[in-house]
Amino acid sequence: MKRFCLIAIAAGCSLMAQAQTNATNTLSTPRGPTLINSDSADFDLTGHEATYHGHVRVDDPQMKLTCEQLIVDLPAAGGRVNHIVAETNVVIDFLDNKGQTNHMTSEKAVYVYKVENGLTNETVTLSGKPQPQMENAQGKQSGDVIIWNRVNTNTYARIIGDYHLIAYQHFSGAVAGTNSSAASTNSDAAAKTTRVPPDAVENTNPAVPPGQP
Amino acid sequence: MSARANIAGMAFAAGAALWFTAATGGRAQQDGHASDFTTTEYFPGQKQVKTILSGAEAIPRTGGLLIIKQLKLQKFNTDGKLECIVTAPECIYDTKGCTASSAGPLQLQNGDGKFQVAGEGFLWRQTNSFLTISNQVRTRIENGATANIKP
Repeated sequence: MKRFCLIAIAAGCSLMAQAQTNATNTLSTPRGPTLINSDSADFDLTGHEATYHGHVRVDDPQMKLTCEQLIVDLPAAGGRVNHIVAETNVVIDFLDNKGQTNHMTSEKAVYVYKVENGLTNETVTLSGKPQPQMENAQGKQSGDVIIWNRVNTNTYARIIGDYHLIAYQHFSGAVAGTNSSAASTNSDAAAKTTRVPPDAVENTNPAVPPGQP
Repeated sequence: MSARANIAGMAFAAGAALWFTAATGGRAQQDGHASDFTTTEYFPGQKQVKTILSGAEAIPRTGGLLIIKQLKLQKFNTDGKLECIVTAPECIYDTKGCTASSAGPLQLQNGDGKFQVAGEGFLWRQTNSFLTISNQVRTRIENGATANIKP
């Protein structure tokens, strides 16, 4: 029996939720190193800036990123990297706290790390044209700006501006004519699309796209 | 001529004074080669060390070029803290243009070693402290920080 589940990024959906950029009630664990590979690079030791060019790949414990250019503010001794800009064909893949793969694309991504009043903020802001997209098993969403909160692993993204949503339909059991499990079948062909006018200001809860009751 | 004077004379040739302002040791040979040398540059008008350059061997070439083997360059800030260390098995230093270059490997790390870079082929422009690595750039950043996880 084919059980039809329309996933419209329901309230409990782990895809996205309201961003809270302040980490509270958290434990700290050591984080592994970040590796950056590229074809070439320039290091401005006066301006404390590194610019990587060509086939840039970042391997971080929380994500994988590829792009064509990456600009890193070099940390002073004892400091840490707190500002990175990725440009051109930016692709980010990461696992959320439920082990679910998330895929994001954009023309520009800006990483910011800062600690204010004892609270840690760590975000990645995606922007540019074409619109940034974020996709996982539940669906695909796009907006003028996507802000990914890397600190709070339960609520980690916010979409601002012209908002689009494609919610995937999920099937349990075998699909007629195939041997594939419906649970693993996600396709745009079986998707519900929602588009919100460009004047939509902010979507703080993707379960209810902007403009929807 | 003392070893110190020989090294200094070699390094300062053709206006290399921008790079070295003092030589602090090493052994010089009659053909102009020097070995196990260290030179120090100071911030203008100060006694504060700006850079320390050392090498296992320095071989002068025509045109104001100097082949340096086992290069190690340490750069300090005005507070005396180590900013970065650059090492390379070999490079060519252009005393006229104040540049160092090589087709070979290079390593760079910041003062605490948490930001490390390696690559193949480089050009170092001393006048503005600008380093270009041409190929196979690999960077390792020790976050030193922590991942925050809800209990």
